Amino acid sequence: MISFEHVTKRYGERLALDNVSWRMEEGDCVSVLGHSAAGKTTLLRLITHEVAPTSGTVTVGTFRGGKLARGHRALLRRTLGIIYEDFRLLTDRTVFENVALAVRIAGHFADSEVIPRVLHALTEVGLHQHQTAYPHELSFGEKQRCAIARAIVNRPALILADEPTGALEPKSAGEILELLKRIHREGAALLLGTTRPDVAEALGGRRFVLEEGRLTSLERPSAASPYAPPASAPTPQAPPGPGGF
Amino acid sequence: MHAFFFREAWRSFTAHRGLASTAIFSLTAALALCGVFLLLSHNAEQALQAVGDRRELIIYLKDDVSDAQVQKLQDKIRDLYGVPTFVSRAKAWEEFSEQVGDPELLQAVDTNPLPASLRVKLKPELLNFTAMETAAKQVVEFPEVEDVRYGAEWVRRLDELSNGLHRGTLFAGVLVAIAILFVLYNTLRLTVLARRQQVEIMSKLGASDRFVATPFILEAMLEVFFAALLALGLVFVLQQSLAPRIIGLTFLPLTWCAAFVGGALLLAWMASGYALNRILRTVGA
Repeated sequence: MISFEHVTKRYGERLALDNVSWRMEEGDCVSVLGHSAAGKTTLLRLITHEVAPTSGTVTVGTFRGGKLARGHRALLRRTLGIIYEDFRLLTDRTVFENVALAVRIAGHFADSEVIPRVLHALTEVGLHQHQTAYPHELSFGEKQRCAIARAIVNRPALILADEPTGALEPKSAGEILELLKRIHREGAALLLGTTRPDVAEALGGRRFVLEEGRLTSLERPSAASPYAPPASAPTPQAPPGPGGF
Repeated sequence: MHAFFFREAWRSFTAHRGLASTAIFSLTAALALCGVFLLLSHNAEQALQAVGDRRELIIYLKDDVSDAQVQKLQDKIRDLYGVPTFVSRAKAWEEFSEQVGDPELLQAVDTNPLPASLRVKLKPELLNFTAMETAAKQVVEFPEVEDVRYGAEWVRRLDELSNGLHRGTLFAGVLVAIAILFVLYNTLRLTVLARRQQVEIMSKLGASDRFVATPFILEAMLEVFFAALLALGLVFVLQQSLAPRIIGLTFLPLTWCAAFVGGALLLAWMASGYALNRILRTVGA
């Protein structure tokens, strides 16, 4: 579904990703852990083709190559569901309109197609009662639910979530994670970037650590990694840390 | 096209009234300039047509030409050049006498020296200097014909004036097209920048350039539509205020008005399409 082959990405002198190779299959659940500016967002932006690799090849589904044409890039993004830390909702539109926009972008314009899909997605995230509200009338947790509804409304095979709980207080973060897990159980592959080990652990699935541009599996982390489980903790079922969900 | 795009265009239009008003007023100025040229061109063309309709070929016949030969010549002329009217020697003298008006002066002439003639109202496609010159050269070769006159210099100047007007209108049209492109490009750039966040979000969600651009193009066309109506209104006010002083000054016919608005909309569509193609490459990530 996704494969990185010796991908390096530089922003001028700064090295964001260093010769990264990994794969993700259909239905996978993958968390990428890393501190702020470790390259998690770059990794996700390479998948959505917002940036092109300096070297190496990124393949997403049938889209392979360094730099896609604008039309193909749009087509690729329509096959994904993307969730951002800052929600990226249109402030002058209601919850319903924000979610409906994704349906229309996918090429469905008739009300008979748009309305049932949007209502179903809003019901799934528990936001159907707020469909006429504007983003500024919602809590952070509700905004993220709206963003998730927008991401899942077209039933994508892959959902990318960039720090989806970053702006949320613990209770909302827990609810959002439960929601993501449910969506994953229903068949969507999930790739999550986060700074918080507890979030990655709660989500389950494969975990990777991104440090100094290098991606390593948490199953064999470097000894110096702050994400490595302590020797006294034999299983990944550690309780949430401070500020956890 | 789906109603969604029209709703989006109207939403953007009403959300950025200041920007839209500025664009409409700038476009109105450019289009009004074009409208004034069209008004001048239309009225000049009317005047030229009225004068041009009087363009005719006068074929002077030889004195010894029989009635049968005249009839045969008329048929030939009708087929090739236009509608002939026969003016006999007596009729020509009668007309001449009316023009001179002084009986004493006319008595000084013993005999009628005027030849019979055919006055030919030419076919529309022959109402230009080159065609008339060619026709005259051909007709003068006919054995029944003594001479042919058609006011060559006058016709040539009339044609030059008409061509000059057409060129002037075309030049004004090109200037206005450039002005519209310039105004629309900058207005759209500002509109897109004002909605940059929306464009970026749509782009991240997989919206095609066409999906993003269509509402902006419709908005630009809406602005140009209002501007074209305002410009026509201004030209109408100008025509009404000048009509008492310039006899025969008429407003543009409905078909010209429709073509003016249609042309402006077409130009807006092309200009905004071009502008957005460039702008979205820098805004849409």
